[in-house]
Amino acid sequence: MIRAILRKELTENVREGRFRVVILTLLLVTVVSVLVSKRYYESVNEQHERARANARQEWVGQGQKNPHSAAHYGTYAFKPKYPLSLIDNGVDKYAGVSIFLEAHKRSDAQYMAAQDQTALSRFGDLTPDFILMFLIPLVIILLGFNAFTRERESGTLRLLKSQGVPVGRLLLGKWVALYLPIAIVTLVLFALAAILLSGIRDYGVFGVGAWLLLLMVFLVYYAVFTNLTLLVSAVSPRSSLSFVALLGLWVLSCLAMPKASSAMADSLFPYPTQLEFEEQIARDKRSGLNGHDPWNAAAKKLEEETLARHNVQTVAELPFNWDGYFMQQGEEHEAEIYFKHYQSLKETYQNQTRVYKTLAVLSPFLPTRFLSMAICRTDYHAHWDFADAAEKYRLMLVGKMNGDMVENSKTGEWDYLADEKLWAAVPDFDYQPLSQRTVLALQQGNLLTLLGWWLVSAMAVYVAVKKMSIF
Amino acid sequence: MLQASNLSKFYGHTVALHPLNLTVQRGEIYCLLGANGAGKTTTINLFLNFIQPTDGSALVAGIDVVARPEESKAKLAYIPENLMLYPNLSGLENVDYFSALARQRYSRDELTAFLTQAGLQEEAHDKRISTYSKGMRQKVGIAIALAKKAEALLLDEPTSGLDPKASNEFSELLKKMSQRGVATLMATHDLFRAKETGTHLGIMKEGRLVEQLTTDQINHTDLEKLYLKHMN
Repeated sequence: MIRAILRKELTENVREGRFRVVILTLLLVTVVSVLVSKRYYESVNEQHERARANARQEWVGQGQKNPHSAAHYGTYAFKPKYPLSLIDNGVDKYAGVSIFLEAHKRSDAQYMAAQDQTALSRFGDLTPDFILMFLIPLVIILLGFNAFTRERESGTLRLLKSQGVPVGRLLLGKWVALYLPIAIVTLVLFALAAILLSGIRDYGVFGVGAWLLLLMVFLVYYAVFTNLTLLVSAVSPRSSLSFVALLGLWVLSCLAMPKASSAMADSLFPYPTQLEFEEQIARDKRSGLNGHDPWNAAAKKLEEETLARHNVQTVAELPFNWDGYFMQQGEEHEAEIYFKHYQSLKETYQNQTRVYKTLAVLSPFLPTRFLSMAICRTDYHAHWDFADAAEKYRLMLVGKMNGDMVENSKTGEWDYLADEKLWAAVPDFDYQPLSQRTVLALQQGNLLTLLGWWLVSAMAVYVAVKKMSIF
Repeated sequence: MLQASNLSKFYGHTVALHPLNLTVQRGEIYCLLGANGAGKTTTINLFLNFIQPTDGSALVAGIDVVARPEESKAKLAYIPENLMLYPNLSGLENVDYFSALARQRYSRDELTAFLTQAGLQEEAHDKRISTYSKGMRQKVGIAIALAKKAEALLLDEPTSGLDPKASNEFSELLKKMSQRGVATLMATHDLFRAKETGTHLGIMKEGRLVEQLTTDQINHTDLEKLYLKHMN
């Protein structure tokens, strides 16, 4: 019986112009968006590889230098593009792609793609995630808003009911008829992405697990929208009313709620401005140890303690290069200041994330948005992880430079030079994106919320169809 | 086959149907006469379990329609005044679909046979319903009832708006079905048709069944007089 219902629904759909136009347009837009996204991904990847090789070459080939000068000369950490960013670019556009690494200073990521774009880009890009997040729910509504109201308006519902059809089967037949075309389009998009990614050379770490998980998340997301669409159609007396109500629902859950929740998160847990943030760090730095200022109080204290520990009178008598040691101590102290301030930023971020997770109960869009970005490693958490890895690498690099000075030169010997051997001994920056398990653990809440949406909406639509009036 | 005992329907203080007792046996065609709002459609909707009775019960082949709606509906076929089908499907596809909903699977030949039996010319079977006239749609309705092997038929003014020839054809079909033992309950305004087709007549007024008789008890002129007497 379900097969008969499904076949009848699909036959009706295929014979109707609206369905053909909508589905073909959606397919076309989907294919185009993936192809465009692939070109962008490839060009960014290529630039990334070139820049990375360049930076390394410049670092290794910087010639003979005092190691601490080399630490000032610095190098760059580049954020690799995660393959699934082909599907969801997340915040990558706004988060910057490279971090300058130098002594004494932690820098933020630079060169956001958004900086190079025209005002037109503010209206949104035709990207796969735009289609997946916004367009497909709209298409579900467009195709399904009159699933039940049409039968009620034309009077076929009376005859349908008089045949004694069990509501569960009627619902399931209509459900599958609405869901199937959407699932096929989604599969086409994902299959195309997988084929294109595997065709790109050096496409990086790309697990089938992440791909599958992302696909599942979207399929559940569409199941929620299918439930909601049929629910509204079952309780609406007229198609026009059902359409307006569903459009309202779409605007609310896909546009209004995300905006409202980010405004709420910002007002509850505001980030400091860039200026405030830099001021706070500068203030802490002034009162603490500075590797280039041996005259401040903290430096004097360190000097006395060190001399006492080694039982000598002057720094020249120390068995190592005091200048290098002193600078490294300063570096470590400043690193702590940076750590503290960035940690408080991160806490704000985590507090905001909690607000989003709570509000996700109000819109199926929110948990899906966060899950998608997290699985594609393009959310802020992934960016933080990269920035932290870059900072760790910076401290290692500077530590190695100062350490070489401490061991291989004497205090005051500023003309000591190191060469390529030392530069090459610093390993290249090699960032590993977050593992699937970490992402899953972090996203547990969102995953449960999305499944909750699915369960509750499924029960609601079942009850609504069961109680559906024929009038 | 169809039985109403003290069946009644109230909407608040408004009475749509006073306690009604009525029986339709196998092979009988019971015609309910009466003005609009007399309770004819309410009675049919109660038998279909489209609305809940306030009191009393409606039985189809001894099955209570409220307690076991799916089983009672399996015995029933229903043709409303304006039978609406799926406009984008052909007549044949419509019969196929509605039969499937009633858990019946038929081959194409069997479906064609039902439609032919219902009097629909063969060249129309594969045309879409949107091209059908009202008479043709009512025939598809009969074909659906035939395919369902219904034991009871509920008709709500099925011949209103049909031309005399189509109306006559429809009546002939009803007679054929009653000969096979189908019990029919039909609401109608057409006294002539009721006298010609029906075996039993009931006149309803303001939610009350005010008169019951068999068609052989009365001629057409007297039936009209009786009807008008009740209406005034």
